[in-house]
Amino acid sequence: MTAQVHILLVDDDPAENVILSALMRKVASYAISLHYVETVDGALDFIRAAGVPLDMILMDNRLQPQADFRETVPELRRAGYIGPVGVISSSISDAYFQKIDDYGVDFRIDKAELDPTAIEFILQEYVKRDAGAGI
Amino acid sequence: MPVLDRHFRRYDFEGDLEKALNRVDFFRIFHTMALRYGFEHFGVLQLANEHETSLLASRLLLHDLPAGLAETYDKRYRFNDSAFFKSFYKSTIPTVWRASDRPENGLREGSDFLDQIGFDMALSIPVHSVAGTRYVVLFLGDGEDIERDAHFEICYEANCAFDYYYRQVLANKAGMGLTPRETEILRWISYGKTASEIALIVSVSEHTVNSHTATILKKLDVVNRTQMVAKAIREQIIQ
Repeated sequence: MTAQVHILLVDDDPAENVILSALMRKVASYAISLHYVETVDGALDFIRAAGVPLDMILMDNRLQPQADFRETVPELRRAGYIGPVGVISSSISDAYFQKIDDYGVDFRIDKAELDPTAIEFILQEYVKRDAGAGI
Repeated sequence: MPVLDRHFRRYDFEGDLEKALNRVDFFRIFHTMALRYGFEHFGVLQLANEHETSLLASRLLLHDLPAGLAETYDKRYRFNDSAFFKSFYKSTIPTVWRASDRPENGLREGSDFLDQIGFDMALSIPVHSVAGTRYVVLFLGDGEDIERDAHFEICYEANCAFDYYYRQVLANKAGMGLTPRETEILRWISYGKTASEIALIVSVSEHTVNSHTATILKKLDVVNRTQMVAKAIREQIIQ
């Protein structure tokens, strides 16, 4: 039995949810439930509803009406979320991405680099439930 | 992190290395390097004493192998017994290993790492840190061969990436000063707050708090949070 993990994707493009869901299904060592909301407000509602114990949040860097992770992620933290947050962007080499730690972001990843291997590594790194442990 | 003199910087790819902050960033760098050169996986192995028995899984400091592969290997085989492992103590030349040309590489029956781990080709690049400790950057895949130029390039890139990885993540940082964020977390620890409480207070994840705490332990050269706080007060880092 594989470990069950819950990931929340926050992205204003529903197509990304479809793409990421397909990627997540290819991760063999975890049973991933990908939850999806389009906005930070949606994410805050999801956190506050607390129906599902979230293991990780993946955020698109740019989400309307906020500018980028420097505005969005602190909002998640203010709502009391202390799990890992990863920011997805296609411009992670921009200078302000060097400050992720100051804004409560755990890691950054380029859209093009998100493959099943990368997802598995990130889960091992941040969720730390042994694959196959049957938790 | 000490910045190298520009004279020593070569080629464009070091821009990414300068920016790498954490293990995920180095995972991204090594993983894309593996894919770019036709491999599927990478691993950074720590070499210790040749005769000290240890598991492949515990030697792998950073890797993208499928979950459980190294552990399954360790249940069936002894990494120390493989000709592959032993070669690292005979030579430091980067070597291409192919399942199809065993005799050339001196692989003997019963010690064939590639067959055991289940790949057709490997490239091993022995590297070392500025402190002299030894490591191997390993690439694995099912390709047939690697061209000469690509071989040279990946060796240079792997050496550079390892150097940054070592200095940023692996190096013993004893004696180095604490960052403002580390000092802030140390202060909250001294007030008796738990990691999850500190995460709430400073608006980061619990994982980040634990990671900063591990760095503070290294920098202050202490073994636990009690000794950390005691030493920090003795050295007047906190009041």
